[in-house]
Amino acid sequence: MRLLVIEDEPRIAEILKSGLRQAGFIVDAVHLCADAREALVLIPYDAAILDLGLPDGDGLELLTEVRTAHNRVPILILTARDAVEDRVSGLDTGADDYLIKPFATNELIARIKALLRRPGGALGLELHAGNIDFDTVGQDVRIGSTLLQLPRRECAVLEHLMRRQGRVVPKSILEEKLYGVDDELESNAVPVHVHHLRRKLQEAKATAEIHTIRGVGYLLTEIKE
Amino acid sequence: MKRFRFKSLQVRLAARLAALYVVATVIATGALIYEAYDTASSLNDRELSGRAEDLARAVSRDGAGQTRFALPARLASAYADSTDDIFAIRDAGGHLLTASPVEFGTQVSKWPLAKGDPSYFHITDLGTKEYYGLSVEVGSAAGPLSISVARAAGANALVSSVLREFVFDVAWASPLLMLATLGIGVLVVRSGLRPVREISRVAAGIGPDTTSVRLTSDDLPAEIKPLVDAINHALDRLERGFVVQRQFTANAAHELRTPLAIVTAALEAMQGDSELTKLRADVGRMNRLVEQLLRVARLDSVTLDFDAVDLNEVASSVVATMAPWAIAQGRSVAFVGADTPARAKANSVAVADAIRNLIENAVLHSPPGGEVVVTVQSGARVSVADRGCGVPLDDRERIFDRFWRGKGRKTAGAGLGLAIVQEIMRAHGGQVAVSDNPGGGALFKLAFAFADTVEPSTSSSRN
Repeated sequence: MRLLVIEDEPRIAEILKSGLRQAGFIVDAVHLCADAREALVLIPYDAAILDLGLPDGDGLELLTEVRTAHNRVPILILTARDAVEDRVSGLDTGADDYLIKPFATNELIARIKALLRRPGGALGLELHAGNIDFDTVGQDVRIGSTLLQLPRRECAVLEHLMRRQGRVVPKSILEEKLYGVDDELESNAVPVHVHHLRRKLQEAKATAEIHTIRGVGYLLTEIKE
Repeated sequence: MKRFRFKSLQVRLAARLAALYVVATVIATGALIYEAYDTASSLNDRELSGRAEDLARAVSRDGAGQTRFALPARLASAYADSTDDIFAIRDAGGHLLTASPVEFGTQVSKWPLAKGDPSYFHITDLGTKEYYGLSVEVGSAAGPLSISVARAAGANALVSSVLREFVFDVAWASPLLMLATLGIGVLVVRSGLRPVREISRVAAGIGPDTTSVRLTSDDLPAEIKPLVDAINHALDRLERGFVVQRQFTANAAHELRTPLAIVTAALEAMQGDSELTKLRADVGRMNRLVEQLLRVARLDSVTLDFDAVDLNEVASSVVATMAPWAIAQGRSVAFVGADTPARAKANSVAVADAIRNLIENAVLHSPPGGEVVVTVQSGARVSVADRGCGVPLDDRERIFDRFWRGKGRKTAGAGLGLAIVQEIMRAHGGQVAVSDNPGGGALFKLAFAFADTVEPSTSSSRN
């Protein structure tokens, strides 16, 4: 998977490159809007990391240009916090996610992976969390090497939680996903499915678990030893 | 010994006015009474002199060269009827021509003759009465005469009673007048000082958040205007200092970000032992501190824009954002929304920040496995409850101070989180308070001032 890092601060660019390479990505780095524009046209990147303050222009303008040209590459914005507040609207102009400086490289990698795990993303076909492998095409779930048989609705819940792993998935979103599977949805369908799914994952000794964020939704995280 | 002084300018002015008025009244009344008595006595003198002249006209010299005295009938009967008025007439040779009564004449004969200016006398040994009188030299048909006339004390009752009445009138009216003047004085001073009270009220409201406020000197007395102008200039200088300081904090924090980001990322990329883990934690703390300094500096210098914000929405999204971190700490967070949209006039970014700081604080003070509960209540209230050790009563005010940290608490923060919460609430005209969570732990409550729960709902109810 190939990423483009658009960052003008050389030390940060360097660290980003080495961190992302360690995580298994191929990384190109540019420090000017003009170079980024050219690179994005020439190479079909799987995702891009964009710093907003660049020497020859504003990252948000570049973002608008890219989206106007119908380039759907997932873009994560790196920004100073004040910029988020002043220009939070920028996220609506087509960024897929944003991260505030200073950031942890692990967090950045997790966010990038989450973007790539979206349907149609580079990691969107095969999902992994701990020892859980989810083949979205065959709807096969394996814990380690063991195949786990799951009803369709639980499969749908797990797929969504895995695509958004490490982040909270609102209960309402899961409800919407289940409507597609089952038209007659009970009011407590989501908690019931999550409950069954959680028990099955535990029994199969999965190294990822589902947390309930009462009043908000659910969260899948890997279990750390 | 220190002299007692009135602190109030109003009381001081009124007291001095009163003293001045008392002194002026005493002097004026005294002078008036003195003048009245003086006038009365000179009236008396003039009357006595007139009588002496009347008497002199009654003296004549006959053809034989004998001096004769014949009073007109009207006067003769007046003198005969009264013992109040007495007289004695002597000629230039000192011979007593006539006297009424005779005893007075006997006394007068022993006195020297009157020459030039009238000479005054006071006799007490004539009958039962006291007499005041004068001896005067008056020319007559029989040559210069020395005439002594006197009137009994108290005989001029009319003048005396008029005088007494006058003095009495002045005496009782004076205190009343004085009170009235004092009252008017106090009112005048009060109304004169009203602009001063007004600017005092404005000045009382000036704080670190309102350094741009200035005192108006338009309606002020000329004596106070220079003071107010000087204060305004001092405020100008203070404001400049404040701005410079805030700007410095903001800039310093901002400039620290990039190197910190580099160090953070570099440390993460390194492979190593527990020493490296500790270093990462240290840098993490520094990151947090810089971030919070920046928040504080921004809150100090930027005025927030307010919108109608649904607290349910803001709080649940903060809970969602914070949940992965809380779970990584071995704790959890939960959200309990209000049934109706809890709308507040607020800045959503700032409110989210306040709630995030409270959650962070609560998670750090929760026992392992503990759940932090964020509750939104109608009436624009948000509370964050934990099952930690709670906040001792003595600390409940101070925990919101900047850089305050509880004794013996091993928390990662710099003590800015709760200060930020308080600043945010202050900027919203709201309040933050801490109390005991029923069943153990601390309960932080945010109360927004501009609540509007009546507004019809546009979003569906949440679970």
